[in-house]
Amino acid sequence: MNLAANIHGSLRAERRWALIIAYVSLCAAVVIFLLPPVYMLITSLKTNAEMSNLQGNPWLVRSPTLEHYGTILGNPLFLTFFWNSIKVTVLTVIVTMVISVLAAFALARMRFWGSQALATGVFLTYLVPDTLLFIPLYQIVGGLGLLNSTWGLVLVYPTLTVPFCTWIMIGYFASIPKELDEAALIDGATWSQMLLKIFIPVALPGIIAATIFAFTVSWAAFVYPTAFITTPDQMPLTIGVVSTLVRGDTFAWGQIMAGALLAALPPVVVYAFLMDYYIAGLTAGATKG
Amino acid sequence: MPDSMTAAVSAPRGPESGAGGGLRRLARRRSTIAFLMTLPLICVIVGLVAYPAVYAVYLSTLNRRMDEFAGLLQFEILVDNETFWLVVWQSCLFAISAVLAKALIGFWLAHMLHHIPTKGQRKWRGMLLIPWVIPPALSTLGWWWMYDPTYSSLNWILAIFAVPAVPWLGEPWWARISVILVNVWYGAPFFMIMYLAALKSVPEQLYEAAAIDGATSWQRLRHITLPMMQNIISITVLFSLIVTFANYDIVRVLTNGGPRDLTHVFATYAFQVGILSGNIPRGAAVSLFMLPALAVFAYFILRGVNRRNREMA
Amino acid sequence: MSENVNATSCNDVSLPRRAALLGGAATALTAPAVFGQPTTNIRCGFWDHWVPAGNDALRRLCAQWGERNRATVGVDFITSVGNQNLLTIAAQAQSRSGHDILSFPAWEPAVHARMLVNVDDVMGRLTAKYGAVTPAAEYLGKQDGRWVAIPAVSGTQMKPACVRIDLMQQHAGIDIRAMWPAENRAGPGADTWNWETFAVAAEKCNRAGFAFGLPMGSFTDAVDWVGALFASYGANVMDERGGITVRGNAKLRAAVEMCVRIARQLPNDVWAWDDASNNRALISGRSALVFNPPSAWVSARRDQPAVGAQCWTVPVPSGPEGRFVGYLPYFWGIWNFSRVQGPAKELLEFLSDRASAEVQTNTSAGYDIPPFLSMNDFPVWANEGPPVGTVFNYPIKAHHNARTSVAFAPAPPAMAVQAYNQALNTKLIARIAQANETVDQALGWLERELNTIRRGG
Repeated sequence: MNLAANIHGSLRAERRWALIIAYVSLCAAVVIFLLPPVYMLITSLKTNAEMSNLQGNPWLVRSPTLEHYGTILGNPLFLTFFWNSIKVTVLTVIVTMVISVLAAFALARMRFWGSQALATGVFLTYLVPDTLLFIPLYQIVGGLGLLNSTWGLVLVYPTLTVPFCTWIMIGYFASIPKELDEAALIDGATWSQMLLKIFIPVALPGIIAATIFAFTVSWAAFVYPTAFITTPDQMPLTIGVVSTLVRGDTFAWGQIMAGALLAALPPVVVYAFLMDYYIAGLTAGATKG
Repeated sequence: MPDSMTAAVSAPRGPESGAGGGLRRLARRRSTIAFLMTLPLICVIVGLVAYPAVYAVYLSTLNRRMDEFAGLLQFEILVDNETFWLVVWQSCLFAISAVLAKALIGFWLAHMLHHIPTKGQRKWRGMLLIPWVIPPALSTLGWWWMYDPTYSSLNWILAIFAVPAVPWLGEPWWARISVILVNVWYGAPFFMIMYLAALKSVPEQLYEAAAIDGATSWQRLRHITLPMMQNIISITVLFSLIVTFANYDIVRVLTNGGPRDLTHVFATYAFQVGILSGNIPRGAAVSLFMLPALAVFAYFILRGVNRRNREMA
Repeated sequence: MSENVNATSCNDVSLPRRAALLGGAATALTAPAVFGQPTTNIRCGFWDHWVPAGNDALRRLCAQWGERNRATVGVDFITSVGNQNLLTIAAQAQSRSGHDILSFPAWEPAVHARMLVNVDDVMGRLTAKYGAVTPAAEYLGKQDGRWVAIPAVSGTQMKPACVRIDLMQQHAGIDIRAMWPAENRAGPGADTWNWETFAVAAEKCNRAGFAFGLPMGSFTDAVDWVGALFASYGANVMDERGGITVRGNAKLRAAVEMCVRIARQLPNDVWAWDDASNNRALISGRSALVFNPPSAWVSARRDQPAVGAQCWTVPVPSGPEGRFVGYLPYFWGIWNFSRVQGPAKELLEFLSDRASAEVQTNTSAGYDIPPFLSMNDFPVWANEGPPVGTVFNYPIKAHHNARTSVAFAPAPPAMAVQAYNQALNTKLIARIAQANETVDQALGWLERELNTIRRGG
């Protein structure tokens, strides 16, 4: 009795301390993690004159203005970037999901010659970074006449998304009990029925996770558009903001920051609503034990 | 993730075979259908990854104007070049120290998050994930402006504590640290979220049993948490090593390789040499040098994961 | 003339099929016919101007020409920040498609000479009218005896010193406005405006907390000013035939020593400065001097008028071998895959004439320097202000006794461009001033780097 009470007492004290340390660390981390985006927001609200003035606290806005947001949103080029990003991302996500759901289903559920090698291949593909491939792809995309075209991006972005999405989906499909498809097969269901009626509905959280992943990756892609896109009207947001808004030999920082924040908005919004799916997808294997 | 990993690396499991001839015919048809279903994936891997990789090898054997076969000339020139060795050294330094810092910070934060009451976790987790959700090319712009030599707001904060202004991007070591800092800032939330998931999958009974045995918190960490998380730690570190090693956007936006090429990593150097200076074969050769390092990382970590999986099975 | 040119676009057998078909279609029409049709469509990629509103001039001029010649001229502006323009040029050369006319910075016409249309005819007419172009422009634009691109007005800049009148007077005791008045004469003490005086002033201003804002990174502002200093000491690192002239080069050593001396008086992070950092240093009021075209002053005038009113542009200090000013010209080139080469030439000739040049220079607050020496007398340079006359000495005037310099000239362009893009000259100085190497060690490194460039061809 006594011993148990002691353990409980010390545990409680330990817990309280642990809690304090936890909150202190988390607060510190939040401050540091949010410093750059907050400063970007602050900068985007300053006038040019205030920004170039060295007097005073750079972390305060004395005369807030929305002029940079106005300029940016009134700039047809910026809207073009936005549209290009949406176009490329949506197309990439569709292509990716079709490829990876089909392939993951086949790899997780149907054995065939070379399927094991292919599964390993998918994994190894993820180890080949885009920065290794952009030079040969530059030649290849150029040879196809797709440099400076959003279509070139739609062509190459799946290399960024497909391996990981296939991988997430294999994990999800593999976790679905086998009795389910056996029962379906005995009932005379075809493979396509099985996929559409059983697997896709059951694996929906995984599909959502993979979709968000594909969306985030293609929205944030930087190497390929830097290398393949040079005319402003074909640029997606990331490269558009970095290379076109960074203008002149004195930079329009207010506009850059406003543009960067607006460009970061879609992934932040998506993730605010679907965070749990996203995290579940990324940690699929771990949470499923 | 280790589970799906093994699914990918070991054989994918089909429905149990062993039924009669009808099933065998079905199996033959099945393998044709399965092949057709994986065909788009095969096209992507072969056409956009394997073929370019081989093509890169071919490109790297050409001369600058790409009109003559030059053998290993590009590689010889690189091996003789001091700048290139700086790039190798910087890439390794960058990847290893950044991944280490991300892993430690991620681990610490995951632990802290795990400790606080569950109902508050979602809010904290959401805020802590923000650096990882913003496209890094854009958030790096914010960092760049905070590092600016004349208008640095970081130096302004330091000045409050009477710390002299830091030449963030001007002095080689500070520039290296700045680049690593941004990468850690961007990547630590990812580690945090992976570790948090792993922590949550450790059965609570294990801790309770340990508490009754009088284990200290260090012992619990050492003998329960770490072994249970080993796999996810390896996998996360592997991915992060590869992605960090091949990083491009942060260095490109912050320093463009300067000062004196001391912050160039493979990707930015390949870009500089290959596309900006118009020497595509040399650029291809630079990026091919990444392969051996990546293969070594992958080999070791995969081996570890597979061995542990066998032990657990 | 133009028929010949159109034919060349088909000679190139390596054109991709699509482009070849298009090229063929273009040759089928004779050039005058193309020229007269309202369907003529010229796509131009010009340099995105650093002076706010600097792009308007070209947009207006192109629209004007298009109206007059019943053609549509599409104009894109491509920034040089982050080397976006170099990327664009490389991508268009690679894919043999894109704009018809493109702006090429300094070395790029030489690099892509094989793919650029010969413009000897246009240059012949222009020089007949306006006299010679500045020699540096000819060195860069004329390859193997033929003009491969036309030296452009828009974007072509010099990098003389932009000095803070008050700070220079107060801390270095130099009345810069008296020395270089806004008149066609040198003031008292102008003959002492050499690197020695400059280094002393740099030290004094640094001690007073207003260090000169001279970038030492790998961007053009840095490479150009160091290149100008080297040129004024007669310090070459490579000769016309690609021979390396580093070893035992006393002039080079003298230039290096002077440059290191100045570099030690700069802020400690200049090694990472880009083309904008020096402007920010000036605009913030922290710096007494930068080497820059008037864009820095124009931005200061807008954002920090008090600073802007104290800026005065003066020639670069002179060295033992004369006065050289950093020169970063742009060129207008026509790709040989263009289907409208004839009209494109007409358009460029129009953009280069004196009236158009003056429009460009005026819109850019005097920033753009026409390549023809005879045009260095536009009134805009005398009238811009405040302070009025601040950019009078921005273009080269006769009493400056100055020449334009291109870093790493006279090396063969194919090699010089690599040395320039890798910023070998600023890195050489950085090795000594920042990394504390000896001059010999650093020169040894330079020699090895140049050898690597030679080996790679």
